[in-house]
Amino acid sequence: MVIQVQDLMKRYGDVVAVDGLSFEVERGEMFGLLGPNGAGKTTTIRVIMDIIRPDEGRVMVLGQPPGQAKAQVGYLPEERGLYRNLKVLDTLVYLAELKGVPRPTARERAMHLLERVELEEWASRKVKDLSRGMQQRLQFVASLVHDPEILFLDEPFQGLDPVNVERIKDLMAELHREGKTIVLSTHQMNLVEALCDRILLIDEGQVVLYGPLAEIKRQYAPHAVRVRAPHIPLDLPGVVGVEPDDGAFNLALAEGARPQEVLRALLDRRVEIQAFEVAPVPLEDIFVAAVSGEEAGGRRQEEGEDGLA
Amino acid sequence: MDWRKVWVVARHEYLTNVRRAGFIIMTAAVPALGILVLLFGAFFAGQARQLGAFFERQFEVGDEPIGVVDETGYFSPILPEYQGNFVLYGGEEEAKAALLDGKVSSVLMIGEDYLETGRVVVMSTGSGFGAAALSDSDRVRAFFVDHLLAGRVDPVLRERAAAPLDVEPRVLSSGGETRGEGGWGFAFTFIIPYFLAFFLIMTIFVSSGYLLQSVAEEKESRVIEIVVSSVRPVELMAGKVAGLGVLGLTQIVVWSLSVWGFSGGAVLLLAATGAASIPARVLALGVVYYMLGYVLYAIMMAGVGALGTTMRESQQLAGIFSFFAAVPYMLSGFLFTNPNMLIARILSFFPLTAPTMMMMRLPLAEVPWVDVAGSIAVLLLSIPAALWVGAKLFRVGLLIYDKRPTLKEIGGILRGGG
Repeated sequence: MVIQVQDLMKRYGDVVAVDGLSFEVERGEMFGLLGPNGAGKTTTIRVIMDIIRPDEGRVMVLGQPPGQAKAQVGYLPEERGLYRNLKVLDTLVYLAELKGVPRPTARERAMHLLERVELEEWASRKVKDLSRGMQQRLQFVASLVHDPEILFLDEPFQGLDPVNVERIKDLMAELHREGKTIVLSTHQMNLVEALCDRILLIDEGQVVLYGPLAEIKRQYAPHAVRVRAPHIPLDLPGVVGVEPDDGAFNLALAEGARPQEVLRALLDRRVEIQAFEVAPVPLEDIFVAAVSGEEAGGRRQEEGEDGLA
Repeated sequence: MDWRKVWVVARHEYLTNVRRAGFIIMTAAVPALGILVLLFGAFFAGQARQLGAFFERQFEVGDEPIGVVDETGYFSPILPEYQGNFVLYGGEEEAKAALLDGKVSSVLMIGEDYLETGRVVVMSTGSGFGAAALSDSDRVRAFFVDHLLAGRVDPVLRERAAAPLDVEPRVLSSGGETRGEGGWGFAFTFIIPYFLAFFLIMTIFVSSGYLLQSVAEEKESRVIEIVVSSVRPVELMAGKVAGLGVLGLTQIVVWSLSVWGFSGGAVLLLAATGAASIPARVLALGVVYYMLGYVLYAIMMAGVGALGTTMRESQQLAGIFSFFAAVPYMLSGFLFTNPNMLIARILSFFPLTAPTMMMMRLPLAEVPWVDVAGSIAVLLLSIPAALWVGAKLFRVGLLIYDKRPTLKEIGGILRGGG
């Protein structure tokens, strides 16, 4: 366990930003911290980074209070920027030194990281001379120049073009393989689906969903199959509803009916099946459903919310 | 407090700001001005001398003889010691002819009613400045006194009447010591400390201005969020105060050295002799007030700088502090006549005005020890208070990007955990 948050509470005047939040992040995992705008994500991250103090609750980072673990934690804030008039290399060296890295080591690591994001030729140029994409890459490596064990990335893909998104994704995957713990906060659900092992979804400062992504998706999966075919017979056993959807059909299943039986029935009727799958539910739908309290992807298991929260 | 991080911040602040165009221009301005003056002087040296002589001719009474037309009899004949400088003429026409011929620079027409009215008509060519200047001329005054009293009083008394007093100012302090030897030393006692204090106050503002700028820039560029995730706000603040304080000192040193270099050390020597006549107590206290003043202002500038959302907004907020520090200078006219007046004493106990007020009062007069101890105590107490408030504002203000917090919100920040 590298991060433990217990009953975290943070108010700003009358506004409760984080309301009794508890969760844990395990060593070496890619953890998704999700939630709509104003849900309390950034406040939670800032408390863990010791930028602000909690009103109540206990936060431990690597078994220590947040203030004592600063050197082992890297942070890419959502609101970000760098010293515009400072040279690229000097910026990285200074930020590493602030984390307690000795100057020579800092230089070495900074050069290595610049090579990794193909910015080594810009080392002695000023930050303001860099293009937007380059600055974003520089910002990203600035969060790991002190070789942290845990990395907090708040909207790392914001404003990036697809090429740079791929670059950062690759770098994150590489860091993940190296055994770093990464906490990713983003609104881009497709990236969370592609990258994260476990997620925490919060809304109004409280836990909405928390657990392994695969399990959450399974629990939220609708009891339905998706079939691409020219036509669907209307009297299939175990099927209670057929809805055309973008050139395919969504078949809602009766309770107790199994997808295999539906497939067999379709084959028996000689329907020309081009594709058949258990209907998936995009994380985005789960997110919207969980936050707005509606059902995700058609049908939602009754125990879904309570069981997971 | 992790002092290593404080050092990293201080070094970074110093090194990045010392390379700033603004700093270099400001610092180079004084030496550059010195070079210009030197070049100008060398180039125009010859002309300047002629120019100077021209002006002297216009304003000086000069050594040319002055014509006298005497209708009273007191000035006839002219006493032997004045005969080279004053020429007696029998009548107005004769004197006018001599004036037009340039034999005399001006003519004094002493009429019959002189004794009763003191009226003397002065005729001159040119602007008339010479005529006006004659009445203030010691030579002319002595000429009149000597001729009026000649033979009637003792020569010593006559001489004293011509030059009744030669002032040598001395200031008595409570210990019975006197200071101020002669006119120049006395003037330096006032002028030099006044300008030294002004100079030091300037550096307080130069340095804390950089501090404000540095905080506002970090906030504006959002880099602050990464910085405060690495160091504690109080460490960041301490590092900035230290680094930019040294930056301010660098500027003073460059200025002082350049002044010393260009004037062959004369100005600094002058300052040193001036300073030498200031009691050591005043100098030592000056340093104390300088340090305390800088630290207090710097901390407040940092806190305030953190509240603004942009550089401009932060500067406007900080303007309030600059105003307070300038108040003693606005009162300097009154301070010169009475450095211990009530309003000055009150302002010496108010933390925002105490450093400048005390630095101005100290060289001017014996300041009551209650004021010295009191103002230092007030400053020593305000600094931790400012640090506490400043660090809280800093911690929260730094992360508020989109709007400036209202006074109510600031109150909330201070009461709450921040």
